Amino acid sequence: MLWQFNDGAPIYAQLVQQIKVGIVSGVFPPGERLPSVRDLATAAGVNPNTMQRALTELERDGLVYSQRTAGRFVTEDKEMIETAKRALAERHISAFLDAMTRLGYRREDVIEMLRQEIKGGGDGDVSLAM
Amino acid sequence: MLRKLLKHEFRATGRIMLPLYLILLATSVAANLSLRYLMNSRAWFLNMVGGLLMMALVVAIIGVCVVSFVLMIQRFYRNLLQDEGYVMLTLPVSIHQHIWSKLIVSSVWFIVTGLAVILACCVTAFDITVIKEILWGLGRIFEELRKVQAYYALNGTAIAIEMIVLVFLGLVAMCLQFYAALAAGHSLPSHKMAWSVVWYFGLQFVFQLLGVCAIQILDQVNFFDWGIFNANVHLDVMAGIHIGMLLLTLGTVIYGAVFYGVTTFFLKKRLNLE
Amino acid sequence: MSVLQCNNLTKRYGKAPALEQVNLTVEPGRIVGLLGPNGSGKTTLIKLANGLLTPSEGELLICGAAPGRATHGLVSYLPERTCIPTWMSARQLLDFYGDFYPDFRRDAAEEMLQHLDIPSTQRVKQMSKGTREKVQLIMVMSRQAKLYLLDEPIGGVDPATRDYILSTIIGNYNPEAAVVISTHLISDVEKVLDEVIFINRGKIMLQSSVDEIREEKGMSVDALFREVFKC
Repeated sequence: MLWQFNDGAPIYAQLVQQIKVGIVSGVFPPGERLPSVRDLATAAGVNPNTMQRALTELERDGLVYSQRTAGRFVTEDKEMIETAKRALAERHISAFLDAMTRLGYRREDVIEMLRQEIKGGGDGDVSLAM
Repeated sequence: MLRKLLKHEFRATGRIMLPLYLILLATSVAANLSLRYLMNSRAWFLNMVGGLLMMALVVAIIGVCVVSFVLMIQRFYRNLLQDEGYVMLTLPVSIHQHIWSKLIVSSVWFIVTGLAVILACCVTAFDITVIKEILWGLGRIFEELRKVQAYYALNGTAIAIEMIVLVFLGLVAMCLQFYAALAAGHSLPSHKMAWSVVWYFGLQFVFQLLGVCAIQILDQVNFFDWGIFNANVHLDVMAGIHIGMLLLTLGTVIYGAVFYGVTTFFLKKRLNLE
Repeated sequence: MSVLQCNNLTKRYGKAPALEQVNLTVEPGRIVGLLGPNGSGKTTLIKLANGLLTPSEGELLICGAAPGRATHGLVSYLPERTCIPTWMSARQLLDFYGDFYPDFRRDAAEEMLQHLDIPSTQRVKQMSKGTREKVQLIMVMSRQAKLYLLDEPIGGVDPATRDYILSTIIGNYNPEAAVVISTHLISDVEKVLDEVIFINRGKIMLQSSVDEIREEKGMSVDALFREVFKC
């Protein structure tokens, strides 16, 4: 898993986002045990307290639950994961649409361009989508 | 903790001193052989080799003495006042334990060096006619001396022991004088080594001045007419020598104790590692 | 009880003040960045906490006690420069730390040395500069201390070593101990820190949590630092 951080937003909030991506994309499959706070913190190169805070946040959202002795697990509720996935996707779409609007495209043009892009094989610059 | 400090101090110094002692003993064996065989040989070449081996022994003896002295200063300087000081002076160990560990280890090496030099001389002299004759002569002199001792009721053994103790304490006090000068000099922000030298001679000077003043003052208050110094109190030679030795020993201990105090003060309160 | 506490701490070299009326506390479980430009008093503060200097005024307490023999057992100190005795081999170094510090986890240290492929017979003298720094850090982090004082642990090392050092610090995190990292390379340590203390010309400018700064100011600590210390 790739951990990257940008300036501005709190680090714990960025961690929440990235673990969410990990869960919906199957890096952390449903019902699986998550690595320990220390291991996750070492992997991400962040402070263990910050990682702890991010996981607590995810627990409150329900995507992650903890069992007192066994550690933390990804939820088995596939519907909830699907919802989270949908929410993430919607955020990407609205960000994309905002960017396109700023470039001066109308919605119809955007849909047309998307259709062509997908037909053409879709080997566009992936990094722009981030 | 002192025991652990000593262990690591011996480890650090032993790796230098022990090989030196081995070299010293090896050269003394070589010198013995050369005295016995090479020096008497007719061949000039063998004669020369023999001479060189004797030279090597002298160099080894001087070397061991110089190194044990330099090591005493260098261990204190490098281990406590240079970079290693960051590690050493943050150990859960008191300053007193640091000073004692350095002092004890240096003293032990001084003693071992003395013994090693004596041993080297014995090995060199082992079973050699000329030296045997000299020893025999010395034995005669000692016998005569013993007669003289008996006559004046002197105790040679006691005096010898007192001398050895005095020399040893003198060495320890000398170590402490170096420690005090180094610790004081290194409390200053720059030119630390130069200041250490200044401190060394400064301390020396102050002590001489104090000594002269003390004698003057004691003389002024007629101290030297009092008690044992009084000409009317008749002391035999032996007691006089013992009292003299005792006073000298006491003086050396005070001398060392003052330097110990100076060293601890600067290491505790005025430490200034770079 | 706070692990490190300074009350009106002042230190002068001659007349020039290196620290002036410093008040701060560091609680257990926190990783704190002591951030400031060169010559701002970071090293002086850390040396005071190690008893290598004595305060001119005020006090500095470690777990409630003034620095001395007892607190040396609680503090694990990484000095600015590498100063482990160079004649020692890796094994002798392990002996040394094990002898003097009851909290030294020899097995952890051995594992980390093994991980770096450092043979136990290799002398410090024979190691490269980067390896020496790593070895010293391993010795320091292998202790189970109450307070780790790391003076410029990532200054002057290559990026790979930097990552290694930071992950070693995180990997040895202990919720009962506090870590103080002094540095001027903020962007590298920022995500490792809970809190930051900004120090300049011997005075504390700010003590705050990293996420608080990001949340309230909407900028990274690095950006805030550049703003506060603008020349």
